[in-house]
Amino acid sequence: MPSVKRLRDTSTDSTTVTSADTTVLTERPWNVVVWDDPVTPMKVVVVIFKKIFGYSDNKCTQLMMAVHHEGRAIVWSGDADRAQSYCVKLQVAGLLATIEQDS
Amino acid sequence: MAKLFVRRRDGRIEVKLNDAGRDVVREAFGRVYVAEHDADHEWHRTLNAPIDPSKDADDPLAVLARQSETGSNAELAVATVHEEFLNDAEAWAWMTTMQVALRATAVANHLHDQETLEASESELRNYIILLQGLLVALADVL
Repeated sequence: MPSVKRLRDTSTDSTTVTSADTTVLTERPWNVVVWDDPVTPMKVVVVIFKKIFGYSDNKCTQLMMAVHHEGRAIVWSGDADRAQSYCVKLQVAGLLATIEQDS
Repeated sequence: MAKLFVRRRDGRIEVKLNDAGRDVVREAFGRVYVAEHDADHEWHRTLNAPIDPSKDADDPLAVLARQSETGSNAELAVATVHEEFLNDAEAWAWMTTMQVALRATAVANHLHDQETLEASESELRNYIILLQGLLVALADVL
């Protein structure tokens, strides 16, 4: 099995994974963040998470509670295009959502 | 308290709002539709919140997709506001458009936290409570 080492280049947005015969460039993931607001009912947040992400009731409730108690929660992480698409869906559903690249 | 929305055995959602209730949702749906098409509307900023705040401008395609989907939901909600029964897509359009109206109302009135909400005028607070009640009732059957 070829040895693998990860080299974190802090000057770029990527992590380089190298091995004896391959070099793969993997970008840091993008996070979809939902922010708390004073008017949105908790139940509505749960229904929106379930509809958009297909998460279980438990996971949707946990994420909703995280938004409520911590002011924000990362509800999805992955590639930039999908993060942007999910963020748009959440905004269309009326939630306060943004995307950010993982630090 | 009588339910405002009831999921029937055939899957449809029965709307049990009276005329006053339908007037409230019609007005909210109509305002979202207008705001989406009017850059000077007081709700327009809420409907065009940043997607990636670290960038000076968001991807135009994503902005266009948001505008199109928000407008379509509002249009469907307006078109079905008289209906006695809704399918799931129509009920989703109702809920999302009402939720957009709720948040836009809060932002336009600078209600950014619990303190400002509690200190707001009673008429505004009652309107927000009314929309919240409708949203929870609808979310319960989705």
